[in-house]
This record gives sequence, C-alpha cells and structure tokens, in this order.
Amino acid sequence: MEAATLTEAPARATLGRDRTDRRVELLLGALASTILLLIAGMILFVLIKALPSFTHNGLAWFGAGGSVDDQLMNIFNSPADPADYVYKLRAWPLLYATALITGVAVFVSVVFSVLSGIFIVEFAPDRLRRVIEPVVKLLAAVPSVIYGLIGILVVVPWVADHLISEDRKASVAYVIQLDGTSILVGIFILTIMICPIMIAIIVDALRSVPEKWVEGAAALGVNRWRAMRTVSLRAIRPAIVAALVLATARALGEAIMLSMVAGSVGFAPNPLDGITFLFEPARPLASTIVDNSEGLSVVPFGQTMYAFAAILLISSAFLSFAGWAARKSFSRYTLGAR
Amino acid sequence: MELKEEGARTGDGPAAEVPPLRRIVVESETVPIRVGDYAGPPDPEYGKEPWQLAAGLDGEPTWIEERMRTEGLSIAYGDKRAVKDVSIEVNSGEVLALIGPSGCGKTTLLRSLNRLVELTPAAKRTGRIILDDQDVDSFDVTHLRSRVGMLFQQPNPFPMSIFDNVAYGLRERGSKKPRRRQLEPIVVDALERAGLWDEVSSNLNHPALALSGGQQQRLCIARSLAVSPEVLLLDEPCSALDPISTGIIEETIVELRSEVAIVIVTHNLQQAARIADRVAFMYLGDMVESGPAGQVFGAPREARTQEYVGGGFG
Repeated sequence: MEAATLTEAPARATLGRDRTDRRVELLLGALASTILLLIAGMILFVLIKALPSFTHNGLAWFGAGGSVDDQLMNIFNSPADPADYVYKLRAWPLLYATALITGVAVFVSVVFSVLSGIFIVEFAPDRLRRVIEPVVKLLAAVPSVIYGLIGILVVVPWVADHLISEDRKASVAYVIQLDGTSILVGIFILTIMICPIMIAIIVDALRSVPEKWVEGAAALGVNRWRAMRTVSLRAIRPAIVAALVLATARALGEAIMLSMVAGSVGFAPNPLDGITFLFEPARPLASTIVDNSEGLSVVPFGQTMYAFAAILLISSAFLSFAGWAARKSFSRYTLGAR
Repeated sequence: MELKEEGARTGDGPAAEVPPLRRIVVESETVPIRVGDYAGPPDPEYGKEPWQLAAGLDGEPTWIEERMRTEGLSIAYGDKRAVKDVSIEVNSGEVLALIGPSGCGKTTLLRSLNRLVELTPAAKRTGRIILDDQDVDSFDVTHLRSRVGMLFQQPNPFPMSIFDNVAYGLRERGSKKPRRRQLEPIVVDALERAGLWDEVSSNLNHPALALSGGQQQRLCIARSLAVSPEVLLLDEPCSALDPISTGIIEETIVELRSEVAIVIVTHNLQQAARIADRVAFMYLGDMVESGPAGQVFGAPREARTQEYVGGGFG
C-alpha cells in the first residue's frame, strides 16, 4: 500500500512538470523564432533595397574617385524619371573613414581596457576599487549624444585653438578646412565611449579566474604580473573577444557623436600628410546615413543609404561570426572550468 | 584596579585555557594503521646513515641529508598567531608528514617554506627559514619557489595543453623562451617521474583540464618536477581524490623521496603512516612532537600526541 503511493506520487509530479516545461518551451521557442524571422526579414529587405546602388556601380562602388559628397548631391538631385536616376557613387572615403576610426579606437580601447582591468582587479587599493567600478559601469550607459555634445563644445574648440597652428590651417586651406572637427577628436571620444563596456566585461572575467591558477603560477616562482599575463589573460581570451565584438559593434554603429565631432565631410584623410592627417575630417557610414536622413524620399538617394546600411549589417554579421569562431578556438583549453 | 585585572586576565586567557583535544580522526577499527617495526627511542645516528623508515609502502632505503630547516619560526595573521616558534628540519631522502587537527597551523607552516604565505596580506613572519645553509630571505622569491615546489589541495593545472602545463615553469624561468624541441626531454622526464607518461604520451597537446582529477594532480607533480626542485611541499594533495588515485599518488611520492625532500600536510593519519618516514604533530600552532613515524604513531612521548593518534589505534 505504502509502496504503491510512493511510486505513483513522483510519477504524477514529473508528468505535471513536463507539461509546464513543454508549454514554456513552446512559448520561448515561438518568441525566439519571431525575433530570428524579424532579423532575417530586415536583412533581406535592406539588401533588396540596396541592390540598385550596387548593380549600377559594380565593384567600383567600393573604389575611390571624385568627391563622394558631390556624387551624393547628384544622386539627391536625380531627375524624377526612374530611367534617368543617377546612381554613380565611389564610396571609398566613407568605408575608409569607418574602418579607420573604428579600428584605431577599438585597438586603443582593447589595450587600455585590458591594462585597466588588470589594475582594477590585481593592483588597485580597495578604496579606489570601490569608486572606480561603479563609475565605469555608469559610464558604459551614458548616451552617445552627450559625448558628442561635450566633444563639440569642449574638445573640438580646444584642439582647434591649441593643437592646430595657423600655418597648418593655411597649408591645406585650398583642399580642406581644419576647424578642429577631425578624426583625432572622433577617435579620442569614441575610445572613451567604448572603453567602459570593455573594462566592465574584462574585470568580471578576471574576477572569475580561479585563484588556484594564480597561486599555482606563484608557487612555480612566477611573479604576479607575469602570472597575470601568462595564465589569467590567456584564460580570459574568450571574454576579451566578446568585449571586442561588442565594442566594435558599438563603434561601427556610432553615428550622432561622430557626425558632430569628426567633421562630417566625405574626405579620405591621407596618412602621408604627416601630423596634419590627425586633424583632417572624415565621415563614417553611419554618420552619413544620419546626416542625410531628410533626403530619403528621393528614391535613388534612399537606395544609396540602404547600400550603406547593408555594408554595416554585413560587417556586423561578419564580426559576430569571427568573434564566435575566435571564442571557440580560445575556449579549447579552458573547457568550462571558469 | 579592577579594569587592570580584567585586562591582564584576557591577555593571558588564550594561553591559559587550551581547549581539550577531541578525537576527530579515524574512529574505525577495521582499518588498522600499519607502522614500521620501530621500537625504542629515536636513533642518535638518524640523519647520518642511509635509513629505512618508510613504513607502509616498500620504499627503497635512502640517504638522508638536510635540505631545509626552520629556526624559531612564528607566523601571525594580524593578532592571531597561527604558527608558534617552530623549529624543524626537512631532509632529502625522506617524507615528512605534518599532522594535526584543522586550524593547527600545518598548512601555514607549509606555505611559509616557499614564502607563499606572503600572498596573504596580513601575514607576518618571525624566525628564520634556511635552505641549504642560506636564509631564504636572501634569495629572490622567484628563485626560492623554483627550488621549493608546491602541490595544492585542489589539482590546479592551467587552461593549456598537457605539454604547456609541464613546460610552463621552464618557459617562465628565463627571459629567453626555449624551443619546444629543447623542452621535450625535460617534459617527458617529468611526466615519467610523476607516473603519468604512459597515460598521456600520445596526447600531449590535449587540454590538461580534460584529464581526471588524479591525473591532473600527477600533472601538477610533473609541472613542479620539471623545474627540478630540491624540496616538494604537498598540501593535502589527495583530499580531493578517490582511493585509487590516492594510492597512485602515494606510490609516486614514496618513489620521489629519494631525489626530492618531501613535506606533506595531511588530515589522514593512515596516509601519514603509509608514506611518512618522519611525522610532526602540530596543535594550536605548536609543534608538539616530531620524530620517526614509528615512534610518533607507536610510542608518542607527549600526551596530546598520544590522544590525537590514539584515535587511529582504537
């Protein structure tokens, strides 16, 4: 009698739990599928819309030639007849500006964030740590337009007044105006913008490195800094990659702030100009879309903007995939030990 | 007046009222501890002659030579004194087991021998530690730790390949990174001495964390051996392992003791009896008694030792 109830009761309980589980599973599955469908639909939509711009220009779309701002103006002023739409575009300055500003800012941020992460976790005195950590997390949430505002009101005038000499301004006055809005300020503020999120991720990862690994390295006669480099940093490489992907995605998509402080001119800064290179303006893809949003009703112009969006989408998809592959290869030795 | 008395009493308090010993270890009568055929007082010639002491396992007779010793060593964490005025020598050719109840300071003593205790911020040390007639404070701590290796309670291989784990200490030792070809014989030799070579020879590039717990601990032994230490400190190396892995590690330890001085901290009296040549019993930071394993287990001189090891004899 007792035995029977004992065997039956758990069976009923399991059945009940299974049914609830199944319901939750279905619900969550439906939600996930909806989101996936929406994303797939969005990508497809953007690609279809972007297609005319790519097909009219072919591979030359990615090349250099003429002023990209003049070309955009011509597209905007296309005749009303669809047969006469103008599509000619050589987008190189915009692609180059995107890659340059994002690449340099992310590179600087990774180095800076890893070093500050190590400092916060390993070397900072407790009192400092208790202040730094919340501040970093707060900074990660500041809207980019605030950085843009500070940039254009404080940093840009300061750079124009103190770093760019009159001679330098005069030397390139016939090509471009050096008014302080520049890739230097753009990269500087972008770096400040993406560092907090990277630091936050890296600090959390370093915290989760088991103490026994660091102790084991110390017991082999390896000093703290070297153990950090050879054991802890190696172990958190997957987290560094994750931070890198997040920060790069944010930098790629940063439009408002860069359009405010980086000059917003479709110009390709030339490293051969020496120091002047740093003060030259540029405009990445995302800023180009924002700056031209009022012209989207002109069909070929809208399609050109979709082409920029498509490039950004494909880049971030590629970025995610590369990040996933890198994390996977780095996690080989970590196995879920952390 | 009253206040003064009160102060004086609390100041002397901890020393005066030593809590009574409790028999917490090994109540079982079915697993008798085997000890060697030791009888009588410690041999005055001990330390000068090849001396067969390993009791439980059939270890080879070894030549005993002093490697390390402590002189009046005390360690305090803030106000709490964890080790009080301990003087003991560590010899190559034998296994020294530190036994005692939890919190008696044996792990602190062990961790002070390679100055790892200094990683704990509040720890303060007085007294001397001497390695081969030189005060350890005179060496670079890095150099000391490559001569005095350590194994922890939890196996802690790094998240790297098996090969890279063993080669880690060698690679980090100098400023110039040696090539893999130069490292290979040393790595293979270390793995052989740790008794792991046969199991991992074909997959040196596999992740070390994929090994079993016992294999991981032997990998850690190999990692320590690769930098050819003179002394090996083992902090309850088997407490996280199953009996079979424990047996394999114990055999490895007994084999290694002819080349490396071994100090092992253990909670397990039977383990101490199986592998130790010499045993030191600690209680509340004091080194109560130390001597040949047979004497400490068979004929302890101190009442506290008698009481503690007595649990094992039923």
